[in-house]
Order: sequence, then C-alpha cells, then structure tokens
Amino acid sequence: MWQRIRLEPSRFFLHLAVLLIVAAWTLPTAGLLVSSLRDKDLIATSGWWTALTTTERSEQARMKPPADQVQKDGHSEISGNLFEGTDHAGQISAFGTRVQNPAEFSAGATAQLQDGRSLTVNSDGSYVYTSPTAFTGDRGQRVFFVTSVPPKFTTDNYRTVLFSEGIGRSFINSLTVTIPATIIPILIAAFAAYALAWMKLPARGFIIAVIVGLLVVPLQMSLIPLLKIYNATGFLSKTYLGIWLAHTGFGLPFAIYLLRSYIAGLPKDLIESAQVDGANDFKIFMRIILPLSFPALASFAIFQFLWVWNDLLVAIVFLGSGNDQLVLTGRLNALLGSRGGNWEILTASAFVTIIVPLVVFFSLQRYFVRGLLAGSVKGG
Amino acid sequence: MLTQVFWAFATVLIGVGGCVGYFYASNLLLDRLFPASASNDAHAIRNLKIQSSVRPWLFLGPALVLLCVYLVYPVIETLILSFQDKTGSRFVGFDNYAWAAKDTQFRTSIFNNFLWLLVVPAACTFLGLVIAVLTDRIWWGSIARSLIFLPLAISFVGASVIWKFVYDFRGEGQEQIGILNAVVEWFGFSPQVWIALPFWNNFFLMMILIWIQTGFATVILGAALRGVPEDTIEAAVIDGAGPFKIFWRIMVPQIMTTIVVVWTTITVLVLKVFDIVLTMTNGQWDTQVLANLMFDWMFRGGGDFGRGAAIAIVIMLAVLPIMIWNIRQANAERGGGH
Amino acid sequence: MKLRLALTVATLALAVATPALAELKFKPGEDARFNWANFEELKKVDLKGETLTVFGPWRGDDEALVQSILEYFREATGATVNYASSENYEQQIVIDTEAGSPPNIAILPQPGLLADLAAKGRLVPLTDGDASFIKDNYGAGESWVSLGTYKDKDGASKFFAFPYKADLKSLVWYVPENFADADYEIPKTMEELFALSDKIVADGGKPWCIGLGSGGATGWPATDWVEDLMLRTQTPEAYDKWVTNELKFDSPEVVGAIDEFGKFARNDAYVDGGAAGVASTDFRDSPKGLFATPPKCYMHRQASFIPSFFPEGTKLGQDADFFYFPPFASKPELGTPVLGAGTLVTITKDSKAARAFIDFLKLPLAHELWMAQSGFLTPLKTVNAEAYANETLKKEGAILTTATTFRFDASDLMPGKIGAGAFWTGMVDYVGGKSAADTGAAIQKAWDEIK
Repeated sequence: MWQRIRLEPSRFFLHLAVLLIVAAWTLPTAGLLVSSLRDKDLIATSGWWTALTTTERSEQARMKPPADQVQKDGHSEISGNLFEGTDHAGQISAFGTRVQNPAEFSAGATAQLQDGRSLTVNSDGSYVYTSPTAFTGDRGQRVFFVTSVPPKFTTDNYRTVLFSEGIGRSFINSLTVTIPATIIPILIAAFAAYALAWMKLPARGFIIAVIVGLLVVPLQMSLIPLLKIYNATGFLSKTYLGIWLAHTGFGLPFAIYLLRSYIAGLPKDLIESAQVDGANDFKIFMRIILPLSFPALASFAIFQFLWVWNDLLVAIVFLGSGNDQLVLTGRLNALLGSRGGNWEILTASAFVTIIVPLVVFFSLQRYFVRGLLAGSVKGG
Repeated sequence: MLTQVFWAFATVLIGVGGCVGYFYASNLLLDRLFPASASNDAHAIRNLKIQSSVRPWLFLGPALVLLCVYLVYPVIETLILSFQDKTGSRFVGFDNYAWAAKDTQFRTSIFNNFLWLLVVPAACTFLGLVIAVLTDRIWWGSIARSLIFLPLAISFVGASVIWKFVYDFRGEGQEQIGILNAVVEWFGFSPQVWIALPFWNNFFLMMILIWIQTGFATVILGAALRGVPEDTIEAAVIDGAGPFKIFWRIMVPQIMTTIVVVWTTITVLVLKVFDIVLTMTNGQWDTQVLANLMFDWMFRGGGDFGRGAAIAIVIMLAVLPIMIWNIRQANAERGGGH
Repeated sequence: MKLRLALTVATLALAVATPALAELKFKPGEDARFNWANFEELKKVDLKGETLTVFGPWRGDDEALVQSILEYFREATGATVNYASSENYEQQIVIDTEAGSPPNIAILPQPGLLADLAAKGRLVPLTDGDASFIKDNYGAGESWVSLGTYKDKDGASKFFAFPYKADLKSLVWYVPENFADADYEIPKTMEELFALSDKIVADGGKPWCIGLGSGGATGWPATDWVEDLMLRTQTPEAYDKWVTNELKFDSPEVVGAIDEFGKFARNDAYVDGGAAGVASTDFRDSPKGLFATPPKCYMHRQASFIPSFFPEGTKLGQDADFFYFPPFASKPELGTPVLGAGTLVTITKDSKAARAFIDFLKLPLAHELWMAQSGFLTPLKTVNAEAYANETLKKEGAILTTATTFRFDASDLMPGKIGAGAFWTGMVDYVGGKSAADTGAAIQKAWDEIK
C-alpha cells in the first residue's frame, strides 16, 4: 500500500531526511558509547570525538630513579624509555624538562640543562640523561613531551561494572520486580479499560476524568503517605508484593488512559455480533478484545517495563537499600563514590542497563507489524 | 545462585498468577452464582441483569482500589497538608498559597512550566508523526525507529551524563569536551555556558526531554498509522491526491484520537518534569520548574511539607483543562459504545 | 492469604542467602599501632541475635571502608549489622523517618538537617555521658558538643549527635614539582597568596582551578570559600553570629567576605576557564587541571576528601600536596583559623545495639582502624597518631589540633533551606555577575521567609 505510492524525485531526499534525523538522535548516545570505552581519566579531559583519531597531546612521564644510574666515561647516566610501563607507545615530536614548556626541544635533540646535565629524548621514547656529578634523590625526574596518541580503547569500565560484587543478585532482583510490575498493571488496566469503554457503568465520565487527573500526581508526593500505610500493614513493607503494587498503582492511570482510548476505538459491530452470539463480557474480553489490542498492550508493556527497570526511587523506598534487596539501578548507583562523579561507571552502566529493555523492545516490536490490524480498526 | 533464580521465578509466577487468578475466579464465581442458563426464563433474565451490573465492577474493581490507595489517598493527604504549617501540625489556611503567589521562584517556575507545556508536547508529537510516516516508507525504517526509540530506554542517570557531554563548557582556548561547544568553536564563535544562558537555557533542557520522548510518540503514532485502512488511502490515490494531501486529509484525521493521547500524555509528563532540571541545573539560572520546586520544599534540608504540598496541588490544578476535555471526549464516545 | 505466605517464604529464602562475612582487615593483636585491648573489651558486649541497621552517606569505595570498620563490631558483639546508603541520602532519611521506618543509626554530615529532624522529634537523644565524653576527649571538645546539640520537639536543648570522622576544609592543593619548576614559594599569608597568584598570571599561567558544579548541589564549593574567608576577615564570634543569622547575610561583614571570594573566582585572569566557567565546571573535574601538561592551574582550594578525584596513581605528598589556606598578615589578631566538617552519628530508632554502637565509637580502635586505611581524620585525642596511613593525613591531623580557631562549615549549620539551598544558589548567581550586596540580600530574604 504505502510503498506503492511513489514519490519519484523525493525518494532520495526521504532517505536523506531519515538519515539526518537518526544521526542527530544517535549522536549524543554515540558519545556515551565511545566515552564508556575510554580511559577514565580521559573521559573528563578531552572530547569523546577525539578518541577516534590520532591526536597530538602533551604528556608527562618520569625517568628512572637515581638508584638506576650507571657510570660511563666519567659521568653518571640514566637511560630508558619514557613509554616503559605504559601500554601505549607513540611518536614523540618534542620534549621539555619544565612543565610550563613541554615542547622546548624537538625530538632527537640534546637539551643542555643546569649544572652541565644534558638530556636527549628520541622520537621512539628512548632517552639518555647524563650528568658530570652523581644523581641524587629517590624519584626520577619528570620529562614532558608532545606525542601523537593513536586511538585507544579499554573495556575496563565494563569490567568494573559487570564484575562488581552482587551484580548478579541485583539483576535477578530487578527481573523479579520488573516482570510482575509490568504484567499486573497491563491485566488490571486492560479489564478496567474495557469496562470504561464498552460496559454500562454509572459515573463513567467521572471515573475517566479522575483517572486522567491522577496521571499528573507527582510520585514523590505520595511516598510518605504510602510508606505509612505499608508500615501499618506490615506484610507490604519491603516485600516484592509491596513494590509490585506500588508500580502498578503508579502506572495504572497511564495504562488505563492509553488502553481505553484504544479499546474504545475497536469496531462496534465486532462486539455486538459477539453479544448476539450469547458471549458474556468476560468471554468477549478474553477472545476478542485482548488479541485485538495486542499492539496497544505491547506498547504499554514497553513503557512500563522501561519505567520500572530504570526506576531507582520507588525501588529504594519500597524495597529497601540493603544488599539483598538492591535492584540493578541501585547496585550501579552504589558503585559511584560518596561524592559521585565517576563518569566511567556512569557511562558503562548506562549501557549495561539498556540491554534488557532493548531486547524487550525488539521482541515486542514484531507485534506492531503492518497489517496486523489493517482494515479492522478505525483509529488508535 | 540457582536457588535465587528459582525463588525469583517462583515469586514472579505467584505474583502474575495471583492476578490472573483473580479475574478468572471472580468471573467464574459470578457465572456460577447467577447462571445465565437458569431453569426458568425469568430467573435467567434476572441473573443476566445481575451479571451485567456486577461484572463491570469486577473488571474495574482492582484498578479502582489500587488507584484509591496509591494516588487518591495521597492526593487527599497532600491537600490537607497544603493547609498546614511545615511540620503538618498546625492549620494555617491559605498561607502556603499566599506565600507561593508572592514567591519569585514560584513565579519563575510557572513561567518556565508554561514554556515547557507550549514547546515540548508540540515538538514531540510533530517530530514523532513525521518520523513515523517517513520511516514507514523505507526498508530500513524499523532500524531507524529503534534508534530514535533508544533514548527512552536509557536510564535517567545515563541520559544526564549523555547531555553533559553535549552541553559541557570549558573556557576559550581549552579543549572542549562538550560537542556543542566544540562545533561552535569550529565555526569560529566563542564557547557558551549553555545551561546558564538566560531564557534560552530552558530550551536546552527541553531539548533533552524532546530527545527522550519523541521515541514514545513515534512508537504509538506508528502503531496507529498502521491501523489506517488501506482502502481509504488507495481510494485517495486513485482520486489523484498528492502525498501531503493524503497525510493531512486522510491519515491525520483518522489517527486524531491517538495524536491527542500522545499529546496529553506528554503534556502530563511535562508537568511532572523534574529529573532533567534537578540533574542539569537544579533550577538555578532561572530554570526552576514546579515539580522540582515541590521536591525542593518537601525534602531538602528538613523540608516544609505545607509549601511543598501547596505546589503539588497547583501542579494538579494545572491539568484541569485536560481533564475537562477528556470528560467531554468520553461522553461523546458514549454514543459509540453501548 | 496463601499468596502472602508464599511471598514471605520467598523473601525469607532470599534473605538467608546473604554473602559470607568479610574478613577482618587487620588481624586482632597483630599490629601494635592499634588498641587491641578495645577489641577484647568489645567482646564482652553480647548482641547475638540483635540486628542493627545503619544508614550513612558513604557509598562506593567509602562504603567498603565503613564496612571494614563495622566488621569488627559484628565480629566482637555477634550483632548483625546492615549498612545502607543512597544517592540522595538527605531525602531518603527524611522519607524514612517521616514514614515511621527509620534505621537504628543514621549518620549524616549535615548538622542543619539533623537539627530539623530533632525539632520534629525524629531523633533519640544521647546520654549526658556521651556528651561529656566528647567534651573531655575530643580536641576543641566544647565545639564538637555544640555541633551535636539541638532543640528537641519541646524546645529543650539535648545532645543528639556523636561526631565521628572529620574533614578539613582550609587546604590548598598543589603539585610540588610544578611549584619547584617555576620557583614558586608556598605562601604564608593571604597577601603572599595574592602576590603568588599575580606572579603566576605574569608568567602566563592561571593560578586557580575552581569548580562549583555538583548536579543538584551546584554552588556548595563556593560556600566553603566564603566561610574560610569569613574566618580570615572577621572574628570567630562574628562567624558564630552569622551562622545563627544574628549577623545578617547582607551585612557589610558577610558581603565583604563574599567580595573577597570574588577576587579569586570572578577574576578571569586568575581562574582556569575564566569566571564564566566557574559555576558550570564540575567540582570533581576541576582539580584535574593541576595535573595537566602544561598545567591548567597551580592551586586548588578544597577539603581533605579531594584526593579521591586526583588522577589514578597520584602519590600524595609527592605528586600532589597541600598547604594551609593562609590568613591575612594584616589581621594578626585572628590567628590561624581552620574550617572543618564532620559526620555525625545519631540514633533514629533506639535499641540496645544502637547504644552499644555509640559506645563502640568511643573506643580509639574504631577510629584507628579507619585512620590506617584512608581519608579519615579524627579529633579524638586518645588515638595513636601513628595509625594514620600516610604523612599527608598525619599533617592534616596536626592542622586540626594546632588551629587557634576551629569552626564548622557554616552552610552545614544553617537551616537546610539556606545552607543547602539559598546559599548555594546565591553563590552561583554571584559568580554569574550579581553584586555581592544583592547576593547577600537575596539569601537574607530567603532566610527571613523561613523564620
């Protein structure tokens, strides 16, 4: 159908436009992905896009300590390679001995320093440092140099996140919270939505209005009243049942609102003919409404799943923050230091948490397939 | 580990099974207690009547109970709190509201919320619709849609890090780590502290929500677009209608209900927007919004529940027009239902 | 009913599978630096079967540290100790106490917040013995006691919070070798500090890295600056009056201190990234400028915790060191004031184990075990100073004890709405170009509103 409508000159522009939009949308996330693969000290000091190219950078290294000096032709000498002990090698173009001027001498030249000392640094990082008198002190001298740094990535950040203690447990906890907290509201909301759309009810308009109004209730506001109930009842506090119900309660207004508008749009004659056949509402719901509203159910499932999976506040308040109760978001959050700011953990964990929702999205996406409802539904 | 998985699995089964069981059992019970196939017709008719007046409440019951406990009760509690002082122990009448009306922060928040309401739902719905239509017509459309959807799947902490790498500011002459300033410098302008730019910083924050929510609009609108019957479009094509005409005259009217749902949902979300402002600016540089202001008064530094509650009530009142509109909508549909 | 039962079983099963207890970090009796007699004493307290819940601000590496201390308490008394923390622990504790499900012990670094909680009746007072222990055994004991004393629900002053772990704020961090390369001397007076800053500018460098960014708490690093400068321009008495708002925020004394901070932060030549960058640079990123090649800046004023944000492998005392943020030579009467902070331990739900935990913190061992690891300073005089893990910590400990004036972070002492709200935002506005007088007036207005 749609593809058959050819827009000859604009076919190319169509692809281009989508490509541009997708690029704009993905760019920020791409930045996060690249950052998550970078060295943690680099994340906050240079742009992530520079990680992809060879860059010129001023760096510093320390020569070997005076303890390693040897006597040669009547003077003391320390030699070695500046890249020793680091896992990257680069091309040095210039070097210097003062931090203020890291490019004072070009690579290969010999710098004449105070007290008759001289230092040569070659482009491969090897150096010779000589002095007419013996070197003293217990630390090696700093050398500054300008080097080209090839792109370099690390999986350390992911290792930190994935192999942190208790992460498996938290993963299971997260699933235990999320799966029922997604399915229960769907069921309850679908029944309620059908009742509000097709059944005879007093005060139907009023109930719908209240539900729409409840959409806007700020979550934070209801925490304290709810916790008071939970503590009073006892069996709800810090249990899975408690958190499922909480997520269900918070998710219901949106679920009912979304599903009602969809179910109300289903063709009237389908339902009427079923009634003529003598089916009661429960059968109509199970046999006709439920299968037909699958796309709407699937889209709500995705949003509810995402919301619950990524939630931290409700989980910590209703399930607790002890080691056994922590969900994945809470566990990753605990990895951050007391004062936060561990960009490497933040970036890597953002991608670790995204995996499950994406799997859910892709597996549910096929229910949106074209034509599933073609001809049978008049609107959303 | 295996026992953990087992127990988790069992817990999940119990939870979901319990829910399914309720609906199944309660309806079965209703059918048994008042069988429609009763011995005599009068009985059967009476039973059917009872069934049809009880069943809606069986369907609606769990939802109503949960809504009352989790949302209505806290709202009432908040309403009461909003007339009390900061510890919730003394009645102060409309003092908290009077305070809010005079507070400059509150006024800034109202103004900013208004900006958000104007821009974000419109932008998301429009972009979502355009993307849904465009991606529907190319072979790699589902990949494109997934990539647009991606931001929605990222946790909030992740999103705030992402945008740090967009808006970050470093002084002129230093290496930028925010891509926006890097681009600006590449074009020869001087870098800007985006999140502190008066007035415009609001739009930079809105951009984040638009980025997240467009995926939502795309998914919902895309699903609706697929439901548009082929024959109406084919008929239009035969009539020689151009693609824009088909889009505006045929498709948009048919999915109007869905567009409104998306618009309403995002509007409501905007009223609650809080995390973005909290993590990016915490309301500084005149970017405060109502939900964050409420959070501030409720939990920061010991908290003043009275003022926080008053702000929450204002947020809920802001949704009144949407509620009224939805009542009318529901009543209009009544003719379509039974 | 069945559902509930099954759930209880399920949660129980999950609870049983707790990870094996961690090992004790230092074997009792082996290291002479520690007061092992304390451990034997502690063993006499029998808390088998008791559960103690502790809520604190420490997460990540810090959580591992606090767990290593709690482990000794577990081992000796037999109590089960559950430690928890949260990203927004300030809000979390308000939620938990309001909802009636508080932990036994709440540890918080904000006396202002604790005062609010005490006024609402959410804290359990400690004993007079606890207060007198602090008075007698802590350096500057009186001031620590007053730090933990708040008004309860009925307006009576009681001792509620036991200080454990101190932070030192009046420190300027620098890279000694960078100073040596450029022949810079460590300034002994504020005048010398300004002269040094000017010299660095003349040499083509930037003297300071300042970052106020901190997500939702953006602005707080500036409050430390203003407090430090307040102590260096005004008497300690004036400082105390400022904390209680007897001395108004828009008074010339306070406005003067804010302007003094402006001489650093609002001077484009002084600050890396220029004044515009100060408010938006994250405080965790800003010290990294010290270690760049060439250095983006030479000095960074920040509290004793900041080395955790230095690049990996930085050796304290060698690669980075600190000097004391100096006083004005023109005001010798003010001596050498020091600004600090500390975490405070309170009982939010009384129990035998909670009381025993407070007693545990009185033992030198409870301090030494953390001193020997990292990032811990204590004003407790009975500890063995040799237990400090490194020279830097020991030096910081010495500053803590030799100060002529010691004052706590004012923003922590002020009501939360000011010290963790208006003061922060005010400083962000000030750095953004608002005048010091207007800034002071705006903060004062916020304070008047909550009175």
